[in-house]
Amino acid sequence: MKKLKINHHSELEVDLASLLAVMMKLVPVLLLSSAFMQIMVIETDLPQVVTEAIEKQEKENKKNVLVEVTPDRKIMITVDSNGTKSSVSVESKEGQIDLNKLHMAFREIKKLHPEVFKIDLAPSGNVAYSEVVRVMDEARRSRDFNIRFPIKDEKTGKDTTTDYMFPEIIFVNMMEG
Amino acid sequence: MSRRRRFSLDVKQNSTFALNITAMTDMFTLLLVFLLQSYSTSSVEINPIDQLTLPHSNSYKNPTDVLQISISLNEIRVLDKVVATVKDRQIASADVDPQDSNFIQPLFKELQERAKDPKSKKSDEQDNGQLLLQADQNLPYQTLRKVMYTASMAGFPHVKLITVIGN
Repeated sequence: MKKLKINHHSELEVDLASLLAVMMKLVPVLLLSSAFMQIMVIETDLPQVVTEAIEKQEKENKKNVLVEVTPDRKIMITVDSNGTKSSVSVESKEGQIDLNKLHMAFREIKKLHPEVFKIDLAPSGNVAYSEVVRVMDEARRSRDFNIRFPIKDEKTGKDTTTDYMFPEIIFVNMMEG
Repeated sequence: MSRRRRFSLDVKQNSTFALNITAMTDMFTLLLVFLLQSYSTSSVEINPIDQLTLPHSNSYKNPTDVLQISISLNEIRVLDKVVATVKDRQIASADVDPQDSNFIQPLFKELQERAKDPKSKKSDEQDNGQLLLQADQNLPYQTLRKVMYTASMAGFPHVKLITVIGN
């Protein structure tokens, strides 16, 4: 009987030319359509449940949260709940807004008033645009995705949770002189 | 006398040489992965302007195709048209209404013209009074406020702030 001879030292050569040809075509296409700087906008498409909750808040309009940024970077948060006002202040840290404390303050207010999704923002004139954006970032969503806030789905009537805190931000002092 | 033979390279006419393209394929694979990651699916073209540094944000929403205003440290533009001047991070006094310090007259005129002109409308969102605002991160809020105030007067109350992703 004849034995099959296998050469264990032989090398398998894969023809990569066709693969390279495909890559050569793909690379210029992707280079042209690449975004090396990812530009986004602040205004998120909110989940349906959150959008409905904002609409409900606008209709009922019983609670109002005002966030003021003072010229010395101190933040004053005033919650007006059916005429009863309560204030929280976040002191500046080395002349800058203390973002960690601000986020914690927003989180505590959200825990107390989970039905509120809108805040009125009133920065002082000398506050830089980048600082305004940072305050908006801290207010919009919980940094920790495990910390979620209760919300009621108006359509199904079921209780659910969201990581959105105050996604609706209005510049309340825009018309002031 | 013996003749000297002319030197000729011994080349086989029908031979081919194998080019090792493995390393090149490796390089292209890496390049492809990088480019696929940074591939932009947004249809809106936003060209950052010179001397304009956008603020960083953690928003992940792609811009929509609406009218764009840009405020750099030198000027205010509506698309590519310069409409007002910025000096020392403030709107130049010549462009501001003497009766109303928040009202930027040339910007209002330009926005009103664009709001009326059906050709300049890019999408339905623009009909709803939306516009994209790209502003330098170092500008004070009072300068931005004047632009937003004028824009809302001209029929653009919904301003979307353009930011760069990341913290």
